Amino acid sequence: MTTAEIDIFSALANPVRRDILAALREGPSPVTQLSRHFPIGRPAVSEHLQVLRRAGLVREEPRGRERYYHLDPRPLKQVDLWLESFTAYWSDRLRALETVLEQEKQS
Amino acid sequence: MKDGDFIELEHFYPHPPAAVWRALTTPEMQARWWVAGDIKPVVGHRFELDMGTYGKQACEVIEVVPERLIRYTFAIGTLDTVISWRLRPENGGTRLILRHEEFDLGTPLGRQAREGMGRGWPDVLDRMSRFLASATEKAD
Repeated sequence: MTTAEIDIFSALANPVRRDILAALREGPSPVTQLSRHFPIGRPAVSEHLQVLRRAGLVREEPRGRERYYHLDPRPLKQVDLWLESFTAYWSDRLRALETVLEQEKQS
Repeated sequence: MKDGDFIELEHFYPHPPAAVWRALTTPEMQARWWVAGDIKPVVGHRFELDMGTYGKQACEVIEVVPERLIRYTFAIGTLDTVISWRLRPENGGTRLILRHEEFDLGTPLGRQAREGMGRGWPDVLDRMSRFLASATEKAD
């Protein structure tokens, strides 16, 4: 994994940035088009895009006069790992519950 | 990300919903498979779950359908998530559907995870697994 300037958790902590990523799932988009989804104005959207870019979640592609922003989902793996640790935790607990229910039945 | 902020697990138990319900909603039973805490299947009931080294976590029951559903907020102020347990009768047994949702990276635990990022992700995972292991030992 490449070293990002901003960690993914800081980048994702902001709801607008999460919505930007969701919007980019539809495909690459220039900032003008993205801004229409948000009531915060183009400069603010641009700033969020730069944070996402520095976290490695978004990359820019110049097309004529505009820059298109692409989603790069690879760093999201780190978040999956975080959630996976909870999944493993709960799997263990569900198995423990099975044992307890078995003991109850026998007693 | 909105798709990714929950965990859902299913497990079938060859025991009737009444038995599973008891295990989920009575403190003495819950302590045997998870952790100690004064849980009660009553909407508005506030209780604490003792998560070992991770501390006591405040919870509040928000929805109850006897022997079918209990839903509570979990770790108010730290993880700020919601846990729901759904019970579905199936062939004389119970299908249990656990949903742990509303994971938010802005919460203290989410922040802790991302602060750990500065020192590298393995460190975060390591601390997390230590916490989870200690909680497991406590329950076992």
